[in-house]
Amino acid sequence: MPRELEVVSPHAGLARGAFTTWAGLVYLFLFAPIVLLIAFSFNANKYGTFPFTGWTGKWYSQVFHDYQIKDALTTTLRVALFVTLISTIVGTAAAFPLVRSRLPFRNAVRVGMTLPIMIPGLLIGVSLLVFLTNVFHVQLSVWTAIVGQCVYTTPFVLLIVAARLQGFDAALERAASDLGANTFNRLRYVVLPLIAPAVFAGALFAFTLSLDEFIITLFLIGGSNTLPLYIYTQVKFGITPEVNALATLLLAASLILIMIAFVLPAVIRWARQAVRVRATR
Amino acid sequence: MSLTEGKLDRADLLKVGAAGALGLALARPAYSAALRSEATTLNWLTWSDHYANDQLKTVSKATGLQGRPTLFSDNADAYLKIKQTGSQFDIVSADGLWVPKYVKDGLTETFDLSSLPVSKQLYSLARQFPFWQSGSNYMAYPFSWSTVQIYYNPKYVKVKPTSWHAILDKKYAGKISLENIPTDMMAIAGRATGAKKPYSMTTAEISRAKAYLKGLKPNVLKLASQNNEVVRALADGSAWIGITNLGTDDRVKDAGGPVVKSAYPKEGTVGFIDSESIVKASKHKDVWAKFINTTEQAPWIAKNFLTNGRPLFNEKAYKILVNQGHGDRARRLLYNKPQLALQMTIKGPAGDQQAYTDAFNEVFGA
Amino acid sequence: MDSGVPAPPRTGRSRFAAFGQYGGFLPAIVVFGVFFAAPLALIVAYSFWKVVDYNVVHDWTLDNYRYFFSVGTYARTFWATIWVTFSATALTIVIAFPFAYWLVRYVSKRLQALLLVLVILPFWTSYLLRVYAWLNILGPEGAINRFLHWIGLTSQPVSFFLYDRPAVILVLAYLYFPFAALTLYASLQRFDWNQFKAAMDLGATPATAMRKILLPQIKPGITTAVIFVFIPILGEYLTPQLVGGARGVMIGNLIANFFGVGQYTRGAAAALLIAALIVALLVVFRRSLEVRDAYAP
Repeated sequence: MPRELEVVSPHAGLARGAFTTWAGLVYLFLFAPIVLLIAFSFNANKYGTFPFTGWTGKWYSQVFHDYQIKDALTTTLRVALFVTLISTIVGTAAAFPLVRSRLPFRNAVRVGMTLPIMIPGLLIGVSLLVFLTNVFHVQLSVWTAIVGQCVYTTPFVLLIVAARLQGFDAALERAASDLGANTFNRLRYVVLPLIAPAVFAGALFAFTLSLDEFIITLFLIGGSNTLPLYIYTQVKFGITPEVNALATLLLAASLILIMIAFVLPAVIRWARQAVRVRATR
Repeated sequence: MSLTEGKLDRADLLKVGAAGALGLALARPAYSAALRSEATTLNWLTWSDHYANDQLKTVSKATGLQGRPTLFSDNADAYLKIKQTGSQFDIVSADGLWVPKYVKDGLTETFDLSSLPVSKQLYSLARQFPFWQSGSNYMAYPFSWSTVQIYYNPKYVKVKPTSWHAILDKKYAGKISLENIPTDMMAIAGRATGAKKPYSMTTAEISRAKAYLKGLKPNVLKLASQNNEVVRALADGSAWIGITNLGTDDRVKDAGGPVVKSAYPKEGTVGFIDSESIVKASKHKDVWAKFINTTEQAPWIAKNFLTNGRPLFNEKAYKILVNQGHGDRARRLLYNKPQLALQMTIKGPAGDQQAYTDAFNEVFGA
Repeated sequence: MDSGVPAPPRTGRSRFAAFGQYGGFLPAIVVFGVFFAAPLALIVAYSFWKVVDYNVVHDWTLDNYRYFFSVGTYARTFWATIWVTFSATALTIVIAFPFAYWLVRYVSKRLQALLLVLVILPFWTSYLLRVYAWLNILGPEGAINRFLHWIGLTSQPVSFFLYDRPAVILVLAYLYFPFAALTLYASLQRFDWNQFKAAMDLGATPATAMRKILLPQIKPGITTAVIFVFIPILGEYLTPQLVGGARGVMIGNLIANFFGVGQYTRGAAAALLIAALIVALLVVFRRSLEVRDAYAP
């Protein structure tokens, strides 16, 4: 719809050009450090800085033989998946009463449930550490870290889904109700499919936040390692470009997944069409 | 729903992907548990330079004991971690005077050093540190050491700084890189201002140390949390002076930077003596000795020196290095002079940690 | 405000109906109640205790709070932090808003999702690595200086880019850009562009239409974006530590110094003071934060 706006201003073309240039610069800004990161994964200089002392693939071969990094990567992915699952479910479930119920102090509840974002991450990590070890005498583990991260990511999911629910056209639900759908069916066939993009966006956000989360995890993970932790704790003698190599590989994997998610349905659709056309000949 | 209608769209792909990922997540623990059941895993809370991956793999094959390192960033951090995690760790790399504190607080155990055959490879003085002796037992197996000294770029720093007060000179404004370890920086400041016990300073000594740091602050470029950062700063010329561990000159050259030289301040300095200790709550205490005995053998230590470039306590490894032609480098990095380790103020817990942190924050806050 | 959703049946099963209404809160109450509120209460208690020899001792004292008001450093650092945070937030929003506008207005729906994911993509590398990459761009031997040297503009490296507050502001804006971009995009996307057509039919210029119709309606989105960026940056300490040098210290660094050596009681008091200030800010600005639905009847 926005693109179909009739051009009424003589400056419309200029405006469009200006905005597109801006977007191009933004992408340059976003990816310049990434390009450098990738470039340094081939740098023989083990400090990952200029100058380029030579081109080498040894950091990549090191990654494949480094079981510690693989251990950290696996733990990171496990934690991220569970955190995403839990915070998406909890956040989405809580968004409904937040938006729809006739709660007296709605704004206060909203602020209360988004308080974890307002508090410095350090505080969440330390308070949970102190609470779990001193009050419940729980062993620190991957699960305590998952719980800590959920406290931090759930408000994001909550806010995103709630924002979408707020703008939800109630007429659709009324129509469904008029046609005989009960609450459950309304939810399943009308509401959830329509807010699915927002839930997905929330889940993606939670996943992204968890992947790189380090402050809360540092306090709560006990004897295990996640990737951000592994990188940060290479303190005394510093990280090598092996980490750059790993990051590049992860980036490549993510790009491939994205391409598959966007390109594959189109390819399949095209393939089916081609088959159908051939069949009708 | 749409799957049955024969239309595959992005949402379905994502559902399948999510289900697969979930399955993977749930299956993972079972898989890695199966993998690990062949070897006993020893969880090792340590610094990144205490081991090499091929070393751990070889030791695991030879002894059935798989070392699994977890890194920490500060001695106090490690201490707290052991306190809070009970039996999750089996070995901890404690530093200097932290070792007796671990023992006193019931976190680690002493052992009979002579029962470890590999201990005969150590310099004899490393087997007799008075602060690690507990009756006839020893508190920790000695590994490495280093002083914290001044590294300077002779191109810009014309006069060799032989005193902590020499670097207060205004012409070094914004050119010094320090370690971001509040307690140790305060201890260095204590050394610079004549404190008797830099890690247990009196209130008056703390104020003097704080005043020193305040005088130093305009000259400080950055507080580095990784040695990497100091190397980088010296290499690209942002810093002319770095306060850091032995071997930095080699690393700066490695990073393509200029020649830097080291200088020992006449007031003395602090330093670390790293070791490996038995965690008291560990469930694998009986195999600790076997693991250490295999991991700390001279050939591995020699390799460790070549990778990390700082002195260690294994005398046999020094001989190996000399035979391999690295004698000069080893001597330059004081490998054959372990007695120097006893001349420095050995790192340890602060007497009044709160006062130290308060003072440091007050200096380096805005 | 009644959202117009059909109400649950008002039969004798009112308790079940209430569950249906409020039941969604249950998991959230467990997560936030047990794992957030309770620990926070404990930490509040901690801020009134003290640490002796790395152990927390349950002696009640106001010492921690008194300390932060007796020394000028913390207030000074806090104001410096507010200034840096404000600048970084402003920079982020200024960069993100035209970008979000472009995405909604000029890009086809199908490409929008892909381009958005490309914005998040850098997030899937490590935070620390991205900051280190900036060190390689801003430093004396970094990309910018090399480029300036190469085109002959400078003969000596220019070092003002790094180890000071401007570097911190720039890198923070870089790191938090996706938060702002996504939030602004979500808000702009709900805007009904027909209103623009209607306004211009009635004779408004594009600029007036933008000012009087678009901006007021996406104000909640801008506010949310500001919150998502301003508040986390306030507690940041890693970026200031890596690119800020000795001059770019923020309050998070000072608090982290406490927690790093087990001085939980001092750290708790400091962190709670900051949290209280943030909540106070939110209360003062609560009017502009009310996300009143622009589309409600």
